[in-house]
Amino acid sequence: MSEIETYRAKARAWLESVAPKYSRAARGKLNLTVEEDLALGRQYMAEKFDAGFAGINWPTEIGGQGLSNMHKIAYDSEEMQFGMPNVYFGISLGMPIPILIHYGQDRAWVKERVIKALRGEEIWCQLFSEPSGGSDLAALRTKAEPDGNGWRMTGQKIWTSWAQYCDYGVIVVRTDPTVEKHKGLTYFWVDMRAEGVEVRPIKLAGGDSHVNEVFFDAVRLEDSQRMGEVGGGFGVALHTLMIERYIATDSAGFGPHLDLFVDTARDLAINGKPALKDGRIRSAIARNHAMRAGLDSITKRAFAMMQAGMQPGPEGSLQKLVAVRSRQKLSEMALDLQGNQAFDFDPHAYVKEDWGTSWLNAPTGRIAGGSDEVLLNTIAEKVLGLPQDHRPDKGVPFNAIPA
Amino acid sequence: MSILYDEGQQAIATESRRVLDARVAKDRLLKLLEQVGEHDATFWDTAVEQGWTALAVPEEHGGLGLGLVELGLVAQASGAATAGAPFLTPGYGVTHALVAAGNADLAAKYLPQIASGDVRGAVAFAEGTDILPATPATKFADGKLTGSKPAVPGAIKAELALVWASGANGPVLAIAELAGAERKPVSSFDNSRLYADLTFAGTPATILAEGAAALDLAREVLARMAVVTAHEQVGGSEALLHIARDYAVMRKAFGQPIGAFQSVKHRIAEMYGLVEIARANCIHAAAVAGTDEFLVAAADARLTATEAYDTCARDCVQIHGGIGVTWEQGLHLHMRRARSLAIEQGNLLFWEDLLVEKLTGEAA
Repeated sequence: MSEIETYRAKARAWLESVAPKYSRAARGKLNLTVEEDLALGRQYMAEKFDAGFAGINWPTEIGGQGLSNMHKIAYDSEEMQFGMPNVYFGISLGMPIPILIHYGQDRAWVKERVIKALRGEEIWCQLFSEPSGGSDLAALRTKAEPDGNGWRMTGQKIWTSWAQYCDYGVIVVRTDPTVEKHKGLTYFWVDMRAEGVEVRPIKLAGGDSHVNEVFFDAVRLEDSQRMGEVGGGFGVALHTLMIERYIATDSAGFGPHLDLFVDTARDLAINGKPALKDGRIRSAIARNHAMRAGLDSITKRAFAMMQAGMQPGPEGSLQKLVAVRSRQKLSEMALDLQGNQAFDFDPHAYVKEDWGTSWLNAPTGRIAGGSDEVLLNTIAEKVLGLPQDHRPDKGVPFNAIPA
Repeated sequence: MSILYDEGQQAIATESRRVLDARVAKDRLLKLLEQVGEHDATFWDTAVEQGWTALAVPEEHGGLGLGLVELGLVAQASGAATAGAPFLTPGYGVTHALVAAGNADLAAKYLPQIASGDVRGAVAFAEGTDILPATPATKFADGKLTGSKPAVPGAIKAELALVWASGANGPVLAIAELAGAERKPVSSFDNSRLYADLTFAGTPATILAEGAAALDLAREVLARMAVVTAHEQVGGSEALLHIARDYAVMRKAFGQPIGAFQSVKHRIAEMYGLVEIARANCIHAAAVAGTDEFLVAAADARLTATEAYDTCARDCVQIHGGIGVTWEQGLHLHMRRARSLAIEQGNLLFWEDLLVEKLTGEAA
């Protein structure tokens, strides 16, 4: 067994040992509120830290384990199968904390934050999107103006995941509106409990409220909270988005496994004949299987390349685009197939085990973290070398762009 | 087997691409479209000279003892070049059947000649709309075949055929020399595939497998050929992706390259997605040949490669506008090849049903 496989087995053994307390199967029976589930999640994170599975690929001097990306992916893909209550910490540990490790000025303070975040005692959010700019990040309008030896920040962010439970956040704001849009931005960390910060949850179409609007009313920032150069915020923001390149993927698009579709169809009839005999159903099963198998093979190959010390190809960027889109269609078909029986709906059902919630929440997956259209643009421009779209705001000072 | 190509395999990929780029000429391929009964002799001579005919033949029979991974890489290069001559894939099918059936005499008789390119193989399974009919109308009795097989790829020039027929105790796989069969060339939209109707009227043949074993072997042969074809389809798709991309960068309309319009760039990005998914499935399928996973992996590869080649052919022409539909520009070589490859080794309907049967236990 390779070192990675040994590690994977060790991780699995530990996960199995704590699963009776924390797994989705165990929690499913308890009808927990989000706050209760989060409290359990914090306990899980603390146990995970003590067991040595936190910060797997981070340096030991900052509180990590000093292992490779491969070790982390191995752990994550095992952990994913248990449905542990870790969703609240995914962004926190995925982007803001690594960026803090990279840019944070006071190292002792940074280390303290890292360990508290790994243990689930503190949570960080990422304050990027705004009402005026999601895909077009550099169009953001929240501004910070010099204020003595620090800054004063005013504006609004949106779609901020878990902000209502966060202690800190990383934020990119405009510090100079007189230069081109992406040159006038600066990056800070912010105390989410500071005076002038207000968080308002947004109820999403599926009924839950994990995202928020965050308002800043003349919030004071010390210059020591700045990460990177003044005017260098766009680069730090791109760096933030690049960090999580090697993450565990899911060819089911974070929806149900294809086996659930087969199980659903197996019990149903079309025109008095078994649904699994119907050519349309067979075609859907076959095409989805083939597509998901292709994505899985891409993942396996990327894994093998990393293990061999090579850089995986850009085809990994297809995962979310292809998987979530097809999950949406398959979920629609699974509901339609059930006829009127599909109307019986539980908004709290787990999206990986239920066609109703999988369908209703699929659009969130297709938009969050880059919409289909943005991902296609990225593939076209970065992988295939096609030209950028026409951009009328190029080369124009931010304050001269027509609103 | 590893899913990363080793140095030898990468060399085969690079070298086969280089040789075909140098020797396959569009003008010659266009001429072949209008000639029934001719294939690209230059391609075939190249295949023999480069040892591609010997790739998957065991070493004790004069071959190189390599397998599906290596043959797939050559097929990918010939797919990119829409290289004429259909013998590589069925030659591999015949080779695998001879090796798997374990008939030492037949293997010793034919495999060295297949390796040297002196004997070209054809695979005659299909009848009517079925690629692998449950009870074929072609009969085998007393060492002889009777019946006919429509539009068999390569059959105009092949010397040897692997035939799916009905015997006394269920289906049989038999091997027959085509000198003893009648062949009627079929005029097709892709003539260098050398389709011919084969008629057997008491053609001498030898059984390789019977009954359930014959069905298992026929499916295995078909799946292996389908994986070679899937590589060929990926090669064709990838070539079209690059052609479309280059054209979209070069061609201008409304004051900018057409590749700057999202309707065009997204179409090309979608092509990329289909090519990479199909490629990944091909690599996986070739790597698991001979295991229990193979039939499912072959179906996955075949389905995604057919979808990729069809979509790329369709969309690459569309992106070119008027020039894309001219004879001389030659994109129709890919359109035609996408269609012939989509049908040879079983169409999408066949592979969808076979895959679902393997996954759910429910036959169509």
